This record gives sequence, structure tokens and C-alpha cells, in this order.
Amino acid sequence: MNHLIPEFDYQKVIIDPWTSEFEFSIWIIVMGALVGSACGIIGNYLLLRRMALIGDAISHSILPGLVVAFIIFKSMSTLVMFLGALVAGVVTVVLISFIEKRSRVKSDAATCVVFTVLFALGVVITQLLAAGGSIHIDAECILYGEIAFVALEPIVEFAGIALAPAPVLRIAGVTVVSLLLVMAFYKELLITSFDTGLSKSMGLRTSAWHYGLMIALSLVVVSAFEAVGAIMVVAMLIVPPMFAAQLSTQLPTRIMLTLFHAVVASIGGYHLSVWLNCSVAGAMVVFGSLMFIAVWIYSILISKIRKVA
Amino acid sequence: MNRSRHSLAIIQLLVITLILAGTAHAARISEITETSIGEQALRFFTFQDRSLRYALLGSLLLGISCGLMGVFLVVKRLSLMSDALSHAVLPGIAFGYLWNMTRDPIAIFIGATVCGLLGSGVVQTIRNTTKQKEDAALGFVLSAFFAVGVCLLTMIQNLPGGNKSGLDQFMFGQIAAIGKTDLYLLGGVTFLVVALVVIFYKELRATSFDSAFSRSVGIPSSFFHYLLMLLLAFAIVSALQAVGVVLVSAMLVIPAAAAFLLTDRFATMLVISAVFGMTTGSIGSFLSFVGRDLPTGPLMVLTAGTFFATALFFGPKHGIVARWWGRRSRALIVRRENALKSLYRVMENDDFQRDFIIVEEIATQRSETIEEVSKSARTLQKAKLIKISHDKKNLTFTATGWRRACEIVRNHRLWELYLTRAADFAVDHVHDGAEEIEHVLGEDIIRKIESELNHAKLDPHGKAIPGWEDISAPYTTPSSPTAS
Amino acid sequence: MSSQDPLEVHDLSVAYHRKPVLYGIDLTIPAGKLVGIIGPNGAGKSTFIKAIMGILPISSGWVKIFGESYSKNCRRVGYVPQRESVDWDFPVNVMDVVLMGRYGKLRLGQRPRKKDKEIARECLEKVEMLALANRQIGTLSGGQQQRVFLARALAQESDVYLMDEPFVGVDAATEAAIVTLLRELKERGKTVIVVHHDLTSAKEYFDSLILLNMRLIAYGPTEEVFTSDILQKTYGGRLTILSEAVTALHQDQKS
Repeated sequence: MNHLIPEFDYQKVIIDPWTSEFEFSIWIIVMGALVGSACGIIGNYLLLRRMALIGDAISHSILPGLVVAFIIFKSMSTLVMFLGALVAGVVTVVLISFIEKRSRVKSDAATCVVFTVLFALGVVITQLLAAGGSIHIDAECILYGEIAFVALEPIVEFAGIALAPAPVLRIAGVTVVSLLLVMAFYKELLITSFDTGLSKSMGLRTSAWHYGLMIALSLVVVSAFEAVGAIMVVAMLIVPPMFAAQLSTQLPTRIMLTLFHAVVASIGGYHLSVWLNCSVAGAMVVFGSLMFIAVWIYSILISKIRKVA
Repeated sequence: MNRSRHSLAIIQLLVITLILAGTAHAARISEITETSIGEQALRFFTFQDRSLRYALLGSLLLGISCGLMGVFLVVKRLSLMSDALSHAVLPGIAFGYLWNMTRDPIAIFIGATVCGLLGSGVVQTIRNTTKQKEDAALGFVLSAFFAVGVCLLTMIQNLPGGNKSGLDQFMFGQIAAIGKTDLYLLGGVTFLVVALVVIFYKELRATSFDSAFSRSVGIPSSFFHYLLMLLLAFAIVSALQAVGVVLVSAMLVIPAAAAFLLTDRFATMLVISAVFGMTTGSIGSFLSFVGRDLPTGPLMVLTAGTFFATALFFGPKHGIVARWWGRRSRALIVRRENALKSLYRVMENDDFQRDFIIVEEIATQRSETIEEVSKSARTLQKAKLIKISHDKKNLTFTATGWRRACEIVRNHRLWELYLTRAADFAVDHVHDGAEEIEHVLGEDIIRKIESELNHAKLDPHGKAIPGWEDISAPYTTPSSPTAS
Repeated sequence: MSSQDPLEVHDLSVAYHRKPVLYGIDLTIPAGKLVGIIGPNGAGKSTFIKAIMGILPISSGWVKIFGESYSKNCRRVGYVPQRESVDWDFPVNVMDVVLMGRYGKLRLGQRPRKKDKEIARECLEKVEMLALANRQIGTLSGGQQQRVFLARALAQESDVYLMDEPFVGVDAATEAAIVTLLRELKERGKTVIVVHHDLTSAKEYFDSLILLNMRLIAYGPTEEVFTSDILQKTYGGRLTILSEAVTALHQDQKS
């Protein structure tokens, strides 16, 4: 057992990432922070609408969308990826509501059926393609991504200025767009999440906003996918907003706290992974979960103290 | 009575299973040897007979336990809880491996079960101590525990011999890896699940349906809830080897959901779900063998998905096709009966002086062309409700047709009268409602309405309502219904 | 009647499987009335106002608000839903909720303006909740929550107000305050239609009553319709034949 946990070498774990290994580590940390931010922002609305597990479902069912898009267009460009993800996301939601409406099966079972079957389809197609030599994707990559590869990607240049590796640019774009959309449509998102009856009575088309959110979710998920894989995306969608919810009852503050969590979890998680020599994305999620547990215990203690006082 | 019937069914099921397993095994071996070429044959010989047998038996067993547990999940809406738990056991698997640095099935089983129970405990605690909602708590446990597991797995890979741990097979499952101990564990779990479901059938059914009520009649609902959670953990852990962490919840939910669409009885649902589970399991593992090292999990899930889709569309009672067919045949009946009504009205316009109806008059009455009328007339004749004259210009009722026409008209007019008198509807509001309802009113409701209205003879528009005597009178020529 | 009636309903029927159904409702409500809707549980009272606002689909018949369809004139209708329809743990404070009432007047993506915040404050003042404007809504009592909902509806500045059981679980002082406010609205020529749960207070509060039990039993001035005859008809058990037949029809159509 003591072979498992490597020695804590202060120099290697804490100092080096910011000095000698900086070029390698910085993109990983930035990617992690951006993934956490983009997912966390939209995750807030998923939690408010009690759709956290739809996030789980969509992050799994994106896979066949990506694979089919690849087969059709024979490329993995950003546009193709987004298209595949978008179609997959919409298909998932449509199938789930089809089953719900046309049969006795309820939403939880319908969700489970749809996303597992779609995901299984994606895995089988991927395996067949990999066996045939067309693409190199392996199962582990799908599930937990490899964020370290980001550091190895070539840096995109624009007007002669070196910017960042392509995946980082993608997720940065998605994060910025999400923030802008959330700010622009703040009140519509707020009211459709809070009170659907009132929204409908005011003439707002609640189903349009629902689908819009699902599309945004699909795009965020696919951008995060390559870095952290299917399961971690779910973590990034859920844990930062939960952390924020423990600390604040104001939505704008929660969004700020989500961003804070994303950055801190990324940095802390990276250090953790250097120390333990383990999956970087996994470490980031673990660190983020520990942050949640910390504030959770804190709030329990506070309420116990209040009771006594 | 239900319990013994149910346990008998389960015993029969097990016997059939063993017989099936034997014959299927024999059949499959011969299939493989007959259709295999080169590579397949080579693989067959490197796998000993025993492991094929193990794989098949293993998948049958896990099909039963997952199928049975799945019924409770679907009915109690706990499907997403099973998803969370199945991801949450990953660290337990890692710890199980670390215990002895080998893939010891028992250590892994214990580790995974403990982890699973810990996970459900954490979900409960989050719900009790914070304002977070159920889906958030489940999502947290799912991802946090899974992340811990992933970290451990990657850390194990760095250890000497860690690369060959075979633990990554737990992601998507590989039924070929099942050994003797795994089989014993699977067998034990399945036996436990079957036994407890049989013994506590009525309590489990009651608490699944309405736990508050069950508590009020003395059934300890929380005990059974925790029992189910424990059995769920066992079922999940035992299925992990074959299906993998990511897709176990599919093996639990999909066969049960398919069974849900095929029956209205709880006991039948349990049986069908178990059968689906077994079939899915065995087909999935067979495909895995044939298909060059493909992991078993996704193949089983796709098989299960096919069953589900079939049940969804082609289920005899609740299937989409069956429903569509039912609607269509009902629509046909409605069209037929409306046609009969028009015939009746045309005769009525004439005070029933003639015993035939002229096609042209029907066309005028219904604002249709002669061809359209002739077409519906042919349908009616096919249904033996009318007879078309040789020159195709006149129609006469058959005895059945006349009777049905009178019934429909009576239903329509009685309903209109009822709405205006007893329910205070305005006279111009009642026609559309009556158009719909006239086709579905059964005789018992008609009797009630007639007595409620004191056997009135005229509808709100002053037309005569055919009475019982008119309809049941032996049919010779249609005579004017008795009007007062 | 003139097309300027705030609410006109013709032959309205609402059906959805296994839930109470509305059958052939006909009525016209003029301006400046305080109307209560009463009837037994499951009679379809909430369904009725939700169908008017398009929250639930209508199977037949139509609804007109000031002579136009609901979607054209939805701005002129204010809504106070049941308190339980909302998650009170939602991270919004009292002021946020009341401002939601102004959203109907704002375009897509437009922020609430100074004027909107002014109006919101006035409405909070009217329900005596201005001091608590920054409190998160989960910390409020039942009566306070109801006042916030009411303030939100007032902020909508509508001409017709539809309210769903606003007096449930509310303390006596709040109840009295709400009734006073409703009467004020009526004096100003507004139309207020309230689904109410309690017979005895219904007689006191409303000048007209709608008695509903799957279909319209009676509508008119309170003194006229609040008779034991009509009450018997409303509360004295469903018209079993009607509900049996309608159930048979829907089983048939649904399966």
C-alpha cells in the first residue's frame, strides 16, 4: 500500500509546475479552469431546473454523435465536432421525451435507457473503427480524456501572435460565449427556471428556452469532452455549482463562486496529480469535491453552533 | 396464493434456465466450431471449454439478478440512483485490488459493496443536511467517487505489475474474464436476490407501491427500502465484471423497462424482466466472443435496447403500433356508425314510410358525392349492416344494422337530453359532445341515463328517441319508433 | 356582449388523462368585479384559470381577453400561482421576484430599467414588504411569500388578475391585507378572479361567484348564487354519469 502513494516532494509538486515545468503545466491548468468554468456556469441552471442528470445523459450520448459526424465528414474539425454534439444532444432529449410521452415509462427510466444505449452504440462503433484502423481512440480516452495531451497540441497562431493550443481556444470561446449569453438573457433564464407557470402566462415559450439550454449544454460538453472525458464532464457540471450553492443564495454571486471554484480546483487538482502521479482530470475533480465537502462540513458546523447559541 | 404461484414460477424459471443453458451451450459450441474459420477456431482452443461455460452461466445469472432488481428500480423511479451507485463503486474495486495486489474477486466484491453503500449513505446525508436536491446529490456521489476511482486506477498503473491488473476491464466489462470464484459470487447473489424477492414478495410490492400506507398497516417500509438498497449493491457489484461500471445501470433498467411495457401485473413483470435479462446477458456475451475482443458491456446494452424498442413499438397492449392500430380501427367503427346514423335520419325525414333509402338522398343529406356514399355503403355492406340493391340506387338495413343504427341515434339523443336537463347545458352546446360520446356509451350507462331522465321520449330538438322496444323488436320492416 | 369584456369564455373544454376535466364552460366577466371561483377538490378550478392563460392546452372552445386571443393580450393579465408551484430555495430575493412581474414589459435581453425598479418598490410598499426587499425568499413566512407573489402581480400592471388559492396557509393579518388590496383593485376598475378554497369566507369576500364542478354550475352575484340549492349541486357529489361517460371517452381516446 505504501508504494501506492508517492513521496511528497515539495519541490516537484509545488514549485516546479510554476517554474521549470511551466510551459507544460500552464495549458493544462488553464484548460482545467476553463472547462470548470464553462461547465459550471451552465451547471448552475441545470441544478436550478433539477436537470443535473440530464447533464450526465448528454455527456454520454455525445459520443455516437461525434463518431457519426467523423464518419460522415471524415474530419474532426471544430465545426464537425459541434455539429455532431448538437445533433446528439437534440436527439437525446427528443428520444427521452418521445418515450416519456408515448409510453408508461417514466422520465428517469427513459433517460437511463436512452443514454446508455446511445453510449453503447458509440463505444461499439468506435471499437469497430479502431479495430479497422481508421481512428485511434481507446475506451479510456472516451471516459476520462487526457487533459495532458492539451499541452502537446500545437499552439495556434493568429496574426503572428502565439495564442494557445486549439482545444484551449475552443473552450475559451465557449466559456466567453456562455457568459455573454447568460448575462444577455439573464432574466429569461431566471424566470423560466423559477416559475414556468408565470413564464407561460407571460407568453414566454418555455420549451424553446429548454431546448436552447440543451443545445448550449451539448456544445459545452463537447468542448470539455476531449480534455476530461465523459464522466468528469458530469463532475464539472455539478460540483462547482453545488459548492457555490452552499455559500450563497444569490444567483450572480453563485456564478462568481463557480468561476472561483473552477480555477482553484484546477490548480489544486494539478498539484495533486503531480504528487500522486495520477489522472489529471480525476485529481481536479477530487480536489473540487474536497472543496465542496469542506464548505459542506463548515455549514453543518455553523448551523450546529447556531442551534446551541 | 400469489406467493406460491410466484415461487413456483421462479423455480420453473430456474429449471428451464439450467436446461436452456445446457442445450444452448451445446448449440453454441457447435455453432462456433462449424462457422468458425481460422481465427475463431484458434480462439476457441485457447479458451478452455470451462470459461465459455462460465461466461454463459455467469451472464444468465446476472441477467436474473439484474432483471429482478431492475423491476423495483423502474417502479420506484430509482433508475438514476442505480446509475450513481454503479459509478460510485469504482474506488471500491480499486481498494479491493490493493488489498492483495491481485484481482481477488472476493476482495473486490467486498470493496465495491462497501463503497456502494457508502455512496448511498452520502446521498442521503447530503439530502438531510443541505438544501441540495436529489439529482444534485446523486450527481455529486456519481462523479466524486468515480473520480477517486479513476485516480486510484491510474495510480495503480504506476505500481509494478499494475499494468496487468486487468482492472480497466471493469470499465466496459469482459465476461471472458469470469473465473470460478466470480461465478460462485454471482450464483450466491442471484440466489439471495431470488430468495428474498420470493419470500418477501408481498411486502416488497406493497412498499414499492405506497410506502406510507404500508407503514400504516405495520410493514416496516424503511427496513425493506434498505434491504432493496443492499440487494441493489450486490446486483451491481456482481454484474460489474461482465457489463462494466459505466453500463451496469442499463442492465438493471432496460430489461425491466421493457417488461413494464408488456404486462400489468407485478409478478409477471418480475418474470419477464428476469427472462429478458437472461436473454440479453447470453446474447451479449456470445456476441462478445464472436466479435474479436469487443467488450461485453456495450453489446449487452445494445441487445437490451433492441428488446426495449421492440416492446415499445410492438408490445401487444401498450405498444405504439398496437395503440395506433386500435385508434385506427376505432376511427373506422366511428365512421361506420356515423354512416348508419345518416341512413336512419334520411328514413326519419320521410317518417319511415319507405323501407329503403335512396342513395341520392343520402348524398344530399351528408353533402357528399354519390361515389363517396357508394364507397361507405360498400363498407357497410361488407360489415353486414346493410344491403345494396342490384341497381346500386337503394339501400336497406339488415337486422343488425337497424339495431345498431337505433342504438347510436338513441345514445346521441339521450346524451343531448341528459346534458340539457341534468347538467344544464345550453341546447346549442350539446351536439358536438354527443357526436363523440355516442359511440362509447355502454348499455349500463344508457340504463342509468334513461332512468335519470324518466324514460323521456323526445330529445332537446324534439326528435323521437328510439326506445328499448324499438331496438329489440324482431326486424321485419323498419317502423316508426314509438313516439308519444 | 361588447368585445371589451375583460374575460369571455365560450364552450371551454379541457381534458387530460385521469385528471379532472372541464366541460363546456361559458361565461363573460365584465370589468370592475371581484369574482371568486369555488367548488369541491378536483373540480378543475385551477385547471380553468390555467387553461385561460394557455398554461394548459384547451381541447375545445375559446377564450378572449378584451376581445382578443390570450396570446395577443397576455400583457393585460396578471397571474398569482399557487405557492407550492415554486421552489422557495431558489437563489432570488424578494426584489428579484417582484421585478419578474415587469419582464412582460421588457424586450428579449433588455435589463429592468430605473422605472421598473421604482414600480417594484411601490408594489412592495403596498403589500408592506419593502423592508424585506433583500431577503432570500426561502426565509419568509407563508403570509410574506404570498404578499411577494401579490406584489409581483401588481407590478405586472394588468387589467385582469387571476389568482390561484392565494389565502391558503396565510395568517389572518395577511389575509385581511390581501382582501383590502383586492377590493382596491376592483374600485380602480380592474377585474380580479380568485380561485378560493373556503366557502364561508367566499361569501364575504367576493361580489360575484363562479361555482364550478367539471362544468359551470352557476355564475352571478353572490347573494343570488350562494343558495343551498346551488351549493348542493356543486358540492353534493359529482354528476356520476357525466364523469363516467367522459372517463369512458377519454379511456377510449387515450389507449
